[in-house]
Amino acid sequence: MDFRSLFSRKTKTSDIATQRLQLILTQDRFEVSEDSMKKLQYELTEVLAQYFELTMNSVSMSIKREGNSYVLLADFPYSKSNKLR
Amino acid sequence: MGKVIVITSGKGGVGKTTSTANLGTALAMIGKTVVIVDADVGLRNLDVVMGLESRVVFTSMDVIEKRCELSKALVKDRRVDDLMLLAASQRNRKDDIKPEQMQDVCEKLKEEYDFVLVDSPAGIEQGFHNAAAGADEAVIITTPDVSAIRDADRIIGLLQNQGIDSINLVLNRLSPSLVKKKNMISQTDVLDVLNIDLLGVVPEDSGVIASTNRGVPLVHNDRSPGAEAYMRIARRMTGERVPIPEMRDDNFFGQIVNWFSRKK
Repeated sequence: MDFRSLFSRKTKTSDIATQRLQLILTQDRFEVSEDSMKKLQYELTEVLAQYFELTMNSVSMSIKREGNSYVLLADFPYSKSNKLR
Repeated sequence: MGKVIVITSGKGGVGKTTSTANLGTALAMIGKTVVIVDADVGLRNLDVVMGLESRVVFTSMDVIEKRCELSKALVKDRRVDDLMLLAASQRNRKDDIKPEQMQDVCEKLKEEYDFVLVDSPAGIEQGFHNAAAGADEAVIITTPDVSAIRDADRIIGLLQNQGIDSINLVLNRLSPSLVKKKNMISQTDVLDVLNIDLLGVVPEDSGVIASTNRGVPLVHNDRSPGAEAYMRIARRMTGERVPIPEMRDDNFFGQIVNWFSRKK
């Protein structure tokens, strides 16, 4: 047993639940296959990577409900070191 | 002219029937005229939770098939004035009723009552569509867990497609101590994910079991935290502005902490 596993028992399960939920709901709301979603995410990252310093997993996508419609959100970390090229 | 509110959730066992019984009773205690409608054909339970099972003679099926007048099928509550129950048929199946027929019953009821609360069955099939058919508004019941919230999200989408604009959330069985320990999804996170308006939060309350055992809705016991929450929600449903209190920790240590933090 290493030092970390002593603390891992205290993993905040509510955070895990919320993260899982966000992923599940994005897929449910998208109504597309996981493959298409990954493809979109990949291609989006490729385009963004032309302008920003990005690694392949730094763009996350979600769908948010706004009143009676949905908004697709693509998030990626932005900082001064990561400014527009 | 009153309004028809469908109480629904998608997932079973999150407290639709308990909430319908308590909100109906609470609204009638405030002085509104109320009918609670059991839309769970074949698996009715609202009569049992209300303690009215021995008084049910006619059901919505009898009304639809014109075996009896609508007013005759309504069962008067034993404790509160102006509270009526329309039971579901136990011998029929959910697809024996058409959405238009249910809508017709609801239309007639709201002409005479301030609130018509329809207790929806679980699921997204015919039974749910029947329950939602005549609804002007919807109250979504969810508990703070992944599966219930996922199902709630699906139901919200279906209700929006049906053209229901007013959809509000009741977060049921929230345990403040578990939220504090970060072992339960918080109210903020549920709202963030679902992004609909919050009507109220009902804390986990063991009194619900005793109240169902007796067939007496919790709101008759005005000291219970669950009853207080349902009373506040009912007042909000009448348009009164009642703040949603921050959930207090329910364990002993939490109470001490709260006592000190209130003194500040």
